[in-house]
Amino acid sequence: MIDLPVIDVDTAKADDKKFKFWRSQADLEQDASMLHLAHPEFMPGADEAPGGASRRQFIQLMGASMALAGLSSCRRPVENIMPFVDKPEEVIPGIPMYYATSMPYRGILQNLLVESNEGRPTKIEGNPDHPVTKGSSGIFEQASILNLYDPDRSKVVLHNQAASDWNAFLDFSRELLRGSSSRQIAVLCEPTSSPTVQALRGQLAQAFPQLKWITYAPEGNDPGLMGMQMAYGRSLRPWYHYDQADVIVSFDADFLSPIDRNFVHNARSFAAGRKLSSSNDSMSRLYAVESAYSVTGSSADNRLRLRSSEIADFVAAVAVHLEVEGVNGMGAAFVDHPYAREIAIDLRRAGSSGVVVAGDTQPPEVHAMCAAINQSLNAVGNTVTLFDTEEPAPAAQSEELRGLVSDMRNGSLDALIMIGVNPVYDLPGELDFASALPLVENSVHVGAHIDETGSLSSWHIPRSHYLEAWGDGRAFDGTLSVIQPLIAPMYESKSEIEVLQALGAGLDSSGYDLVRARWADVITGDFEAGWNKVLHDGFLPGSQFNSVLPSINFTASQSPLSIGENDIEVVFQLDNKVLDGRFSNNAWCQELPDPVTKVVWDNVAVMSPKTAEDLGVGVQYKEGKHYSDIISLTINNSTVELPVWIVPGHADKSIKVTLGYGRELPTERTLRGKHIFDLDHYTDVYNKGAVSTGVGVNVAGLRTPTTMKVAVGANVQATGRKMLVVTTQDHGYLEGRPMYRMATIEEYKAYPEFAAKAVKTLPGGEPWEEYPTLWEEDHPSAQPAFKDNPYHENQWAMVIDLNSCTGCSTCMIACQSENNIQVVGKDEVGRGRELHWIRLDRYYVSEEGNEDNPMMVSQPIPCMHCENAPCESVCPVAATVHSPDGTNQMIYNRCIGTRYCANNCPYKVRRFNFFNWSKTLPVEVQMTQNPNVTVRSRGVMEKCSFCIQRIRRANIKANIEKTTLKDGDVLTACQQACPTGAIVFGDINNAASKVVEYRKNDRRYNMLAELNTKPRTSYLGRVRNPNPELEGVTV
Amino acid sequence: MSTTATTDINHPDGDGSHGEPPLITGNLSFHEITDLVSTHTEKKTPPLWYVAFGLATSITGLLFLMIAYLFWNGTGVWGLNNPVGWGWAIVNFVFWVGIGHAGTLISAILFLFRQKWRTSINRAAEAMTLFAVMCALVFPTIHVGRVWAVYWMLPIPNQMEMWPQFKSPLLWDVFAVSSYFLVSLVFWYVGLVPDLATLRDRTKKIWRQRVLGFLSLGWTGANRHWRNYEKCYLLLAALATPLVLSVHSVVSFDFAVSIIPGWHTTIFPPYFVAGAIFSGFAMVQTLMIIARKVYNLENIITISHIERMNIVIVLTGSMVGFAYITEFFIAWYSGVQYEQYAFLNRMFGPYAWAYWTMMFCNLFFPQFFWSKKLRTNIGFTFFASIIVNIGMWFERFVITVTSLHRDYLPSSWDYYTPTIVDILTFVGTFGLFFTLFLLFLRWVPMVAIAEVKGVMPKADPHYYEDHEGDGMAGDHIPHVKPAS
Repeated sequence: MIDLPVIDVDTAKADDKKFKFWRSQADLEQDASMLHLAHPEFMPGADEAPGGASRRQFIQLMGASMALAGLSSCRRPVENIMPFVDKPEEVIPGIPMYYATSMPYRGILQNLLVESNEGRPTKIEGNPDHPVTKGSSGIFEQASILNLYDPDRSKVVLHNQAASDWNAFLDFSRELLRGSSSRQIAVLCEPTSSPTVQALRGQLAQAFPQLKWITYAPEGNDPGLMGMQMAYGRSLRPWYHYDQADVIVSFDADFLSPIDRNFVHNARSFAAGRKLSSSNDSMSRLYAVESAYSVTGSSADNRLRLRSSEIADFVAAVAVHLEVEGVNGMGAAFVDHPYAREIAIDLRRAGSSGVVVAGDTQPPEVHAMCAAINQSLNAVGNTVTLFDTEEPAPAAQSEELRGLVSDMRNGSLDALIMIGVNPVYDLPGELDFASALPLVENSVHVGAHIDETGSLSSWHIPRSHYLEAWGDGRAFDGTLSVIQPLIAPMYESKSEIEVLQALGAGLDSSGYDLVRARWADVITGDFEAGWNKVLHDGFLPGSQFNSVLPSINFTASQSPLSIGENDIEVVFQLDNKVLDGRFSNNAWCQELPDPVTKVVWDNVAVMSPKTAEDLGVGVQYKEGKHYSDIISLTINNSTVELPVWIVPGHADKSIKVTLGYGRELPTERTLRGKHIFDLDHYTDVYNKGAVSTGVGVNVAGLRTPTTMKVAVGANVQATGRKMLVVTTQDHGYLEGRPMYRMATIEEYKAYPEFAAKAVKTLPGGEPWEEYPTLWEEDHPSAQPAFKDNPYHENQWAMVIDLNSCTGCSTCMIACQSENNIQVVGKDEVGRGRELHWIRLDRYYVSEEGNEDNPMMVSQPIPCMHCENAPCESVCPVAATVHSPDGTNQMIYNRCIGTRYCANNCPYKVRRFNFFNWSKTLPVEVQMTQNPNVTVRSRGVMEKCSFCIQRIRRANIKANIEKTTLKDGDVLTACQQACPTGAIVFGDINNAASKVVEYRKNDRRYNMLAELNTKPRTSYLGRVRNPNPELEGVTV
Repeated sequence: MSTTATTDINHPDGDGSHGEPPLITGNLSFHEITDLVSTHTEKKTPPLWYVAFGLATSITGLLFLMIAYLFWNGTGVWGLNNPVGWGWAIVNFVFWVGIGHAGTLISAILFLFRQKWRTSINRAAEAMTLFAVMCALVFPTIHVGRVWAVYWMLPIPNQMEMWPQFKSPLLWDVFAVSSYFLVSLVFWYVGLVPDLATLRDRTKKIWRQRVLGFLSLGWTGANRHWRNYEKCYLLLAALATPLVLSVHSVVSFDFAVSIIPGWHTTIFPPYFVAGAIFSGFAMVQTLMIIARKVYNLENIITISHIERMNIVIVLTGSMVGFAYITEFFIAWYSGVQYEQYAFLNRMFGPYAWAYWTMMFCNLFFPQFFWSKKLRTNIGFTFFASIIVNIGMWFERFVITVTSLHRDYLPSSWDYYTPTIVDILTFVGTFGLFFTLFLLFLRWVPMVAIAEVKGVMPKADPHYYEDHEGDGMAGDHIPHVKPAS
């Protein structure tokens, strides 16, 4: 702190000519310079704060820093600020810029196109040119923008928990480098595909010959990679062409979930194989054999629920039926199972158009077995492409970690570098990393938060978000990309490559230089031109892995897992919303309803109704709230207490738990005080410590290095306590109402209009087709207000193909990000006040006699933009009206909040701001807001606008360019994110548009058409393709 | 001239002396009536009044505290949620408007139907109407999300040329309730003028004379005044009568015009009006049974009045009950599954307790009034009037909440629970109501003195021919013998 003298004693005395104040004779006579010898009237420090600055100085400093903080709110990657009269080239206020970049995700890159408004990244889309993403994205890509603006991110370098700086760390690394040849250092790094990291790893290994580099993923070994190694003896990565497949079999593989690294491709190609433009088309058949209901399971035509531990035997039984070479003497338990038999028959029939996929919960042997089945079907080269990653054989991280922890304990480790990992939080409890970490003399944690590991490490380096730092890597198919930042680091953060350069070379190099240095080898020809093209395009075309057609060499004779008839297994999975905890401080992800359970702000122990009954636990539904019994799960002396959640269709004697909850993150934000008259503190999710504070329970510790995925023989006890678990959907059954319409493919062929004709017109009334249509009189072109306005030339509409929608929920986050939708927190969701503009209604549908294994269907519900909108006629102030282009619009500043429109909406898509939820947003989170969408205040209604800001932006562009809008010029946020193409949006005045084509589809129906609302959003009924031989088989 | 038969032909509406029981008992003279009513506004304020008034104003203070809390934080302090956008606020609004029905019905419609028994209760009932409508108006005002913009519901010319949306039933409500309130106020005030003049003439205090002199509009009791007054009163009664029927019909449109199953019902207007009369009469009973006791008005508000009101209650209660059953029949007969479900959900769903409370209080309980013994029993009537008002509150709750909480899409179904703020706001409006009613009892003649006199036997010009020698004729009442 600055130590300014507040009052100069001598000056004070000189000024004070008139009166002289004195306490004693001695005081009067003595020299001013002796004053300090006088006894002070008050104890030292009694009149001002101890430490350097006085109260006055403190206020001065605070004032100055507040002013500076205000300046820092507009950040772009230039260091000098300048007035907008000389505005930076290309920046036009109000016109967003787009940059291609990539997000590191579970060891690969997801290629993105990021929207930036006046230097602030605000919205993430998939890169439309990239061969994998093709413009689509998943939940985590969409939500990662909020991680950038996470107000709880760590901001400064810490050394021994005290604020330090980057130079001090550089000194430390140089110190470490002296005598490096004898030093033992270990690096615990998240999976990465970055060539620059590879190069820096080489540099580090050169400096420290005894370097131990461990790639650590919280979910455990990558069984897919190890299975490929087992089957082919090399590191191959399978790429499935679901669009080419006739029969797809998933063995606990949730390949349609955004968790999957190749989610975008999987979802797109799966949907492509099931698009039906007419009843003459054919579609693939998906079998899912799984323990927990998943997104993939909900898309399955035939689903078998089976404990994860039994699936290996089941796969073996299928292999035996198919006479796969190398599988001997296994699968006896399921050889007679009708599903095993029928799956095998179907696969044999499909031949090279069949494909089987194993999931992450399955051991490598199952993956190898599936590879063998695919090989025997001749699917490799047809429905499966094998990419050669040319990486060395993967090591089992469980074994490496055991070695690492024993090194840490016996003191042989000089330094431990942890990059993007949080082992204290997510390593198995029996390794007790938390007690071993302080024993290491130098531990360096590079992470976004001062998390569980960061707070125990001697060094913590804030890690730059990928939108702040340079980097590189490979997409799932191996395509190389450069990560380019859109914003200068918000805090004193560094990227992992900058830290590795400091450690390996003792140099403070910028990430930009490091990546360029590495890419000098990658780019052939003119470097600057090539580099600029890579940055512009977002990837290096043609840099995919080579695909290979290897021969298989695999034998299995013993099941890798065994489970007793009555053993309860616990399956550990990455969470659908917060992954392994990386997204747990992300309020959007926390408030996203789980695609299956619809639970928000909690993790639960999911089980079947029968298992719950056997355990004597359940979920009590009382007055709109769910009170779940809390169970204690004990495995190998570790115990965790979790609320139960019951999902019909879950395998009996199996419990699914998810990682990523129970975080303990500190926050530096000062929390608002509680005033008795003020509910702001209560409604603010950012006012309870870090966002993830108190959300859920950490289950990672229940695992052991050998049971990272599935643990058998859990001891489950009811604790007798209950807790409130909040879900966005209280009621899961359709009550026989024709909201979601589906048929089997045979039914569809026999009666193509099954969906449209599902509701009979009541006798007596005139058919609603004959009711007046929108603007039959007084067309907008004739209205004075719109007569010079071309908007009415486009009439917007949306069609949602339920046959393509998997229920993955990416659209919800995309919408939230685009439309500034606020988060309301667990309590308020519990009161039914969530604000999502598009939601996924999940219903269970059971066939008679098969109630224990119902189907699960998901239906996206945005606003229907009814032509006869019931909301419009009841608003007393005309705050919701029809736009000339046929959408139903909310006029926020006219709305007074009577809520009549919401009451009268039969689709219940309207959302009300019961409190001023945007008022309490931390300043960092405010930066995520889309400047083209009004941030709603308290007391107004809001709802899906068909992304009117995007429509208007396209209108303006077309107007400037003197053209008319073409199909595809306007994409809604949900449509753009959706990889399956389930959402089609466009202009119904344009006969060539896709939406018109979809509206002619014979499966189209209007939900609640009998109310004569004439909705502009309509649905295509779902068609299932179940195996007729399995009809009526109760499982 | 003195035969009974002749008198009956000339005075068919029962002047109390020929067969029908007298409307006013105790054989009171005109002066005694004036004294009996006026004295309560003239005597020293009784301590009990202060106690009651203190209690009522405290509860009113609670109302304002709750409103301040609501305004500060937003509508989220109530228990509303996404499917249930209207909760207690709208329930209470309809409840109070319903109560506000009886007064004008008694004074206007019963006036037109020459129901002379109305005179004893119409003043208090009209006051009750005004206060109840004031309580009702609180709710639509405060229930909006942005209360500072609530005046946009009014058709105020503005630079945007932006008018309210005339298709919205909420706007119709604004007009219906405000015109009902204004006409009721004028009607009540016009009826008060002769009595205010009576008070003016009796008082000796100068400020009281001035205030009452101003308010009584120079009334002298002249023939010409009476003639104009009677004409005006008749015209206002004719104007108020359609409003009695329209206001609750329009309130019912808030529900009936929507497309929500359970709301979208054509039976609502008559059913709401019957329900409103039902609850209004019950509230009059509750208030008048206490007031007649406390203020010694047993001779003016007699058992016979109470019995007549009970007959109205059993009649309208049965009409309401019939409407409940009709709704069910129509839901079944319509063949619309959403409609059918809405009504089954009322009976057997999570709010079945509210439904059965309503059925018990509104349909079943008033049937006791078929018994003459019970409908002339003061204690039982008082108890029943409370039951009916509870039942009618629940009726509005059942209509508003059970229809909203489960409508078309099962995914959106939820449950509504009021918060403490909801409850205390409702309690607070009772404070406001009783504050105003206590002020009324203290400062305004609670019985229409002039009108009561008009239905007394003594108002009959032939009265003294039949009652010569009863010691009253010519004593202190000027008696003009008609020319023979």
